Amino acid sequence: MKGTFTRLLRYGLAYRPMLIQAVLLLTLATAGNVLGPYLIKVFIDSFLTPGYWAVTPLAGLVLAYLTAQLISAVCFFQQAIRFNRIALNVVQTIREQVFAKVMRLPLAFFDHTPTGSLISRITNDTEAIKDLYVNVISVVIQNSIRMTGILIAMAFLNLKLMLICVVLVPAVISIMLIYQKLSTPVFQQVRTLLSDINARMNEGIQGMSVIQLMNQQGRFSRAFETTSTDHYKAKIRNVMIDGLMLRALVDLVYMALLAGLLFAFGWDFLSPAGAIQVGVIYAFLNYLGNLTEPVIDMISRLNMFQQALVSADRVFKLLDESTVPVPAHPESPRDASVKFEIGAFSYDGRTTVLTDVNLTIEPGQFVGIVGHTGSGKSTLMSLLMGFYPVELGTVRVGEIPLDRIDPAERSRRMGLVQQDPFIFMGTIADNIRLEWDLTDAEVEQAARQAQLHDAIMRMPKGYQTVLTERGGNLSNGQRQLLSLARTLARKPDILILDEATANIDSHTEALIQQSLMALRGHITIIAIAHRLSTVMEADQIVVLHQGHVQQQGHHKALMAEEGLYRHMYELQQQKDPVVSA
Amino acid sequence: MSVFWKLRWFFKVEWRRYCIAVSALVIVGFAVLIPPWITGRVVDGIAEGTLTLNQLWLNVGIVLGVAVVSYVMRVVWRVSLFGASYALSNRLRRDIYRHLTRQSSSFFQKHNTGDLMARATNDIQAVEMTAGEAVLALFDGALTGILVLTVMTTQISWQLTLIALVPWPIVGFFMWRFGQELHASFRLAQARFSDLNDKVQESISGIRLIRAFGREGVEDAQFNAIAREANAANLAVARTDSKYDPAISLAVGMSFFLSVAGGAWFIVNDQLTLGQLTSFTLYLGFMIWPMFAVGWMLNLVERGQAAYERIDELMHTEPDIKDNGTFTGDADAAIDMTIHAFQHTPEQPPVLQDLSLSIQAGELIGIVGPTGAGKSTLLDLLARMQEGEGANVQLGGRPVADFTLDNLRRHLSVVPQTPFLFTATVAENIALGQPDASRDAIEAAARIAQIHDDILRFSDGYETLVGERGVTLSGGQKQRVAIARALLTDAPVLVLDDALSAVDVRTEQGILSHLKAARAGRTTLISCHRLTAIEEADQILVLDQGRCIERGTHQELLALGGWYQRTFAYQQLEQVVEAGQ
Repeated sequence: MKGTFTRLLRYGLAYRPMLIQAVLLLTLATAGNVLGPYLIKVFIDSFLTPGYWAVTPLAGLVLAYLTAQLISAVCFFQQAIRFNRIALNVVQTIREQVFAKVMRLPLAFFDHTPTGSLISRITNDTEAIKDLYVNVISVVIQNSIRMTGILIAMAFLNLKLMLICVVLVPAVISIMLIYQKLSTPVFQQVRTLLSDINARMNEGIQGMSVIQLMNQQGRFSRAFETTSTDHYKAKIRNVMIDGLMLRALVDLVYMALLAGLLFAFGWDFLSPAGAIQVGVIYAFLNYLGNLTEPVIDMISRLNMFQQALVSADRVFKLLDESTVPVPAHPESPRDASVKFEIGAFSYDGRTTVLTDVNLTIEPGQFVGIVGHTGSGKSTLMSLLMGFYPVELGTVRVGEIPLDRIDPAERSRRMGLVQQDPFIFMGTIADNIRLEWDLTDAEVEQAARQAQLHDAIMRMPKGYQTVLTERGGNLSNGQRQLLSLARTLARKPDILILDEATANIDSHTEALIQQSLMALRGHITIIAIAHRLSTVMEADQIVVLHQGHVQQQGHHKALMAEEGLYRHMYELQQQKDPVVSA
Repeated sequence: MSVFWKLRWFFKVEWRRYCIAVSALVIVGFAVLIPPWITGRVVDGIAEGTLTLNQLWLNVGIVLGVAVVSYVMRVVWRVSLFGASYALSNRLRRDIYRHLTRQSSSFFQKHNTGDLMARATNDIQAVEMTAGEAVLALFDGALTGILVLTVMTTQISWQLTLIALVPWPIVGFFMWRFGQELHASFRLAQARFSDLNDKVQESISGIRLIRAFGREGVEDAQFNAIAREANAANLAVARTDSKYDPAISLAVGMSFFLSVAGGAWFIVNDQLTLGQLTSFTLYLGFMIWPMFAVGWMLNLVERGQAAYERIDELMHTEPDIKDNGTFTGDADAAIDMTIHAFQHTPEQPPVLQDLSLSIQAGELIGIVGPTGAGKSTLLDLLARMQEGEGANVQLGGRPVADFTLDNLRRHLSVVPQTPFLFTATVAENIALGQPDASRDAIEAAARIAQIHDDILRFSDGYETLVGERGVTLSGGQKQRVAIARALLTDAPVLVLDDALSAVDVRTEQGILSHLKAARAGRTTLISCHRLTAIEEADQILVLDQGRCIERGTHQELLALGGWYQRTFAYQQLEQVVEAGQ
């Protein structure tokens, strides 16, 4: 945890000039603030008590007081803004780092980390770090400087009396330490129990029909009540500690100091050498009042500090994850061939998903990969895209193993058309172009290739038609075609279709079919298909079953033999009566 | 303010703690007035040279005494007042949970989990704040304000009080304006924060696409821009927030200035002593908190009011399935259902119509049909998870509404469509309906459900924790645990509502064959998609769009050549494909 805190502070130190400005402004603000009671003291002792009413010095005093107050207020505002800026810059830096890190983590990481917790790392946990900077670190700095300023002013007025007030410092530190020790475990307990309560409530709501069917309402209610009451008891313990340690105790210390000061004033007055001025008393009492508020402020933020450290720790853990390795000496694929030489592949090291998949795809070939749900065809596609490293075997593109190709080049040469394309708010042209610098002619050519051009031209604004979020104003089929156009616009050597024809009508399917036929021979096409009609024309069809190649060949040849492909074909000729009667 | 009136039942319940808290607050309110007054006397004693040692001891002793008394009283009010407010949230939480256990499934469809959770967490917290912090602000803030003001005006000088308080309305106006500003910018910041969340969510769910397109850099840039906007919004909040402190300190400074200037005038005219002026400025410091308390309290009350209304509305939702039955005896496992027409709401077309079904005790009944045929609704009517006038359902010759809900569900073991497992051990999940079942009984049920071997493979066997913090079960495993759970309760009627969908054919057959032996003489209803599960049923019903279109045994239905026969043929072929042949 200590390492976490220093690591956090290092982010702030990157803004040294602004930090120095902030501290200087704060010092100035404190000085102005501390000057107020001192000037009143001067007024009481030098003007009021002796009845000295000279206009010029008095006006000077008034002016000094008002100016000090004003400067103090302005400086205080300015330093607060600077501290906030630093805090927000730190959060921005951390957010950028953690997001970039997440974008480059191995895909396996996402398989075993819930999306919700990852989102929370990037948003909520960094927000907690912001709170640490804004509400803890800057408050501690502010209050320490304020207390120091007041103590200096006190020493200036009367060193002996100031020493009485200095007692406050060790008192505060011990209160903080004791409070920290007492409250941390209880505070954690309260939080844990609260999240238990929420979990139980959530589970109760979602599983209520099961609870009711099993007649367990009473038992579940009682269990919930126990947790809720435990939480209540923990909160009572918490409030006891808070009550005993926080404001009440600091107020007790304040009054004790007040009593001590009063006694010291009186004692000084009663002693023969007594010469204490009333103005000094006035100023001291004022300072003392200003000394306790910062203390309470600091102590009450200790819990927030703990919480923020926990969050920071989680963020740093994520930042320390290793990303996908980038090849040290990248090589370029020699051609558009693909070669799978996979001995075995497993996601978790236990269940084998692919075994002995050896496939050679020549440049310009059109290959269909088919198989039932769970046959391993999506895994094969993931390996081709380099989403997971292959331990036993290699996947070569243009004779070069995938992990030796530069990722940027790989994504340029291999185009993927996915089942559910992402569509953002913007024109159709922009959606095809994405962030690439393509001319209108290139965009149009891609749309023509994807058989989308005619449909676009039928829209009132053509390529400038603005799409709503998620492409609500396009049909399912048009979204698929848009995805195809977008990929083709990048002129890939290898086109990969991942179930791209899964949920579309036969009209769109025919359109895609037409596009593929036009591209055939020019680029390598690998289509992973559930629907066999998409790949009937392929040069080669690979039939996967439970992770291995069961059949391989041309549609006609495969249909000629009694086997999986033919049965799949026959099955798809019928409609599932359960889904549609 | 009416929320206080609505909460009067609770104040009555907790009158002791509230009385103690309010008394303690009043004592503290009076006690804190003493030290400034004493201070004034000591200062006067010193200024006028009349102070004696005895007087000094007495005065210091009084301050110390006040310090101890107010410390104790402060602890007392905090623990009793906040303790009472925690008791309120504990109580509300428990009541809500119990209330939810009485609601039917249609209620949970109407209210989504997030909304219910918000009421059980945020709303309860807002009400807790009303019963605690708002009461504190009302009594402590208002009381301190009135007391201090009274002392200042009657004991010191009402003219000086007026002069000193001149800056406060001005500051109050600015505070109000800052509040408006803060509210607006805070909402903006929250909106930007949710943009940030959305962006991260989108990027993480689209991570494969981002990799395939090599868009990491683009995503980084988009995220960074959104994060910067979020930070700019946060800075706007900080800008307003940072105005508070300087404004207050400026107001306090001006107020002090005016009171010292005015006080000096009165001292010169012998209307005031120096000691009184000292007391006065100390009292002035006490006025800061009441100035805020009022606004704060109004804010808390407003939020608490809205929250309590939402909770109240929830608590006044009557369960739509009423537990009015009186029959608590045992009934025969024969079922008669006559459904003229059943609809969820009068506007919608009937989900079930013209259906009659008569089941002898001990029969096995199959219910099949295309998706959306009304199979689940039919089974829900039997368990009285739904009910309607057009549906007459009898168990053992008695309408199901005559049973107490508890007794009715004691007669039934239902395995719902989507299995729900609770965060608990596997054994506890199986023993959900019979918490005191022996391990042998649990294992026997698990064996019939074909899950025993799977469980033994988990790290801690039957003691393995299920859910987010434990092992994640596959869909088929969850279904089998749910079946084991239903078998353990060993009710006269077993209902499997599409509970075998994620289980493979071989396991399904294993479960069914064991079930047959274990369930001899009991009634079993199975609804399913795969017809192999009901081949041996005594009676099979084919539903389509709420009507019974075919009825008979497996052989009879095959001979009929309708939906059943078509589906059977289709599924035969499907099995061949699944087997990879």
